[in-house]
Amino acid sequence: MSDQSSNPLASVMDGLKSWARINSPWVIHYNSGSCNGCDIEILATLTPRYDLERLGVKLQGSPRHADILICTGPVTRQSKERLKRIYEQMPSPKFVVAVGSCGTASGAFRGCYNICESIGDVIPVDVYVPGCAPRPEAIIYGVAQLLEMIKSGAPSAEMRKAEEPAAVEG
Amino acid sequence: MNTEELLQQAEELLKPWAKEVSRPEDNRLDVRIEREDLLAAVDALILKAHRGYLAAITGLDHPEDEQVELVYTFPDMAALVNLRVSVPYADAQVPTLCDLIPSATLYERELMEMFGVTVVGTPDPARLLLSDDWPEGVYPLRKSFTGFDQLETESES
Amino acid sequence: MEAKEPKKFIVPIGPQHPALKEPGHFEFSVDGEIVTGASIRLGYVHRGIEKGTEQRNWIQNIYLLERVCGICSHVHAMAYTLGVEKLAGVTAPPRAQAIRELVAELERIHSHMLWLGVAAHEGGFDTLFMYSWRDREVVMDLLESLTGNRVHYSTNVLGGVKIDVTPELADTIRKGCDFLEERLQHYLRVVTTDETFLARTRGVGPMTLEQAELLGAVGPTARASGVTRDIRIDAPYASYAEFPVTVVTDNGGDLTARFVVRIKELFESCRVIRQILDNMPESELVAKVPRRIPAGETISRVEAPRGELFYYIKSGGGDRPERVKSRTPSLCNWSTISTVAVGHKLADMPMLLAGIDPCFSCNDRMIQIRRKGHEDQLWTWEQLRRYGIEYYR
Repeated sequence: MSDQSSNPLASVMDGLKSWARINSPWVIHYNSGSCNGCDIEILATLTPRYDLERLGVKLQGSPRHADILICTGPVTRQSKERLKRIYEQMPSPKFVVAVGSCGTASGAFRGCYNICESIGDVIPVDVYVPGCAPRPEAIIYGVAQLLEMIKSGAPSAEMRKAEEPAAVEG
Repeated sequence: MNTEELLQQAEELLKPWAKEVSRPEDNRLDVRIEREDLLAAVDALILKAHRGYLAAITGLDHPEDEQVELVYTFPDMAALVNLRVSVPYADAQVPTLCDLIPSATLYERELMEMFGVTVVGTPDPARLLLSDDWPEGVYPLRKSFTGFDQLETESES
Repeated sequence: MEAKEPKKFIVPIGPQHPALKEPGHFEFSVDGEIVTGASIRLGYVHRGIEKGTEQRNWIQNIYLLERVCGICSHVHAMAYTLGVEKLAGVTAPPRAQAIRELVAELERIHSHMLWLGVAAHEGGFDTLFMYSWRDREVVMDLLESLTGNRVHYSTNVLGGVKIDVTPELADTIRKGCDFLEERLQHYLRVVTTDETFLARTRGVGPMTLEQAELLGAVGPTARASGVTRDIRIDAPYASYAEFPVTVVTDNGGDLTARFVVRIKELFESCRVIRQILDNMPESELVAKVPRRIPAGETISRVEAPRGELFYYIKSGGGDRPERVKSRTPSLCNWSTISTVAVGHKLADMPMLLAGIDPCFSCNDRMIQIRRKGHEDQLWTWEQLRRYGIEYYR
């Protein structure tokens, strides 16, 4: 941090990067065990009626191109490792939006043997969008909240997670 | 042909192997057979007489008898023919239907991992639904399996 | 086969992919660009619902089973409630049955239009994707005004339904159907006349009637090969006996036929929706069902948008089911892929997979190579690229 503050160009560059990120967040979508209900609503959010693209959001096929992971579902045993792998493949800084009640706290599937508790147990989540399934408006609101958060410079869940062990040691 | 006639015809076809025949519902015929006769019965019903298609293989666990019961359902229009085969835990094996009905492969893979019934000769015995790290010998749809927590504590101990 | 072994590549597709729906995993063996075999690995969305039903009571299970699938949630709940009513010896009142059919047909419209868009997207026709999803919002609005939710309609209760259709709502639905029919005419014209699109669908993934029968295909996938199998007609449930539909088949057997069959089914759905609204029977909405269901077992089959949905329900006489088995239509249609895929180009695979109504389009970024006498080997794209350069040198 001290290096950056001593270099005036670095802070300008950071500001520029953040500005660019807010105006064109690319998302990737992964279904980690949901019933498809949230997934079709995410797709509906991207299509002409709701048109999330007006916020600069673009759905991306590859995790390596994405800033935001939109993730649905209660994370099944089989998809847990895949979810982690997709998250790790994304370049930092990265953000996660968990969509749906089952991604928030397993929802209707609570007690089923093949699921984890929530997406938050597997990867750090920035924004939860509850609902079964949440309406497209709710998903847009969730993404808008995330963009607000990035704009305000608040630490992302990824950064908080990275700082956690250091805080314990200190 | 109406449902009644279809069921009567199916009953006639399955007679050589039937150990027990019942009509629990208007449109359903339950025929209990030995597992050795399964292929012959399916061959007679589906391939020779073209009566219906394989809709599902349902597993039922009977812990009190230490048995797994398999229900092969063959619908034809509104008529339903169930072939029921029971296999003991100690010798949980059935022959594959895939030589007669290729589409049985997915149902058989499901059966193998969910109930621990070995389907002898099934073309692809790989796991279909359970995760790669699922412990061997744990079959989730048996009544003795009661959940994730039990699984965790067992693997820890 | 043995001689070809060194040239055989396995191309994994999935589980993560940019379109939508079930993250399944396919492995295609390819010889050059031509697919020589396929194998399936599901389980990325396996949540253990069948076991879950045994821990919940009869009423809670409606809520759970609706969430087997978010696209055809109504038919899952309908198959389950019809089965439980049969066990309890109760028949839902006629108006409830008509509303069940009404919602089921509206759901079919939403599901097929969703599929039309996704399949077009897989074929690189994103304009059609955006248009069909825009028009799909009309039927989503109808479903929302009817049931109060866009995805899980929660229409069914044991013994009937919990929503009613008012005359105003009926008018809204009629108007919506008029609009949709007009748009669907347009889409039918597009998928049958647009040359660039036909180049991706005509003659791709042909399946003969015999193959469809043998492989156990169901629903529109089977009907596009000329199989006249439709549970709504073969074994009418709910009010399908009073408001019948006619079966739509096509003898093409290829992807074009699957597009045509699905779109033509929607005209039939619109027609039957109008018929139901014009002749809605007057009665109660719910019949009383006991909390404990008498012991017994039953099989309940309904025609989901993707094909035959099969439920086996067993009661031990308590307030919970002893066993609920659900066999979804997609499972039947998966098995057709491995046969139909052989001999086609790898580039046709997303379209073929979309053709049965689940969908795919992504590659995991590695390739597994099996060589005779060698251990299986995982190659990165970089290694593969070098291998490719060497190979052609």
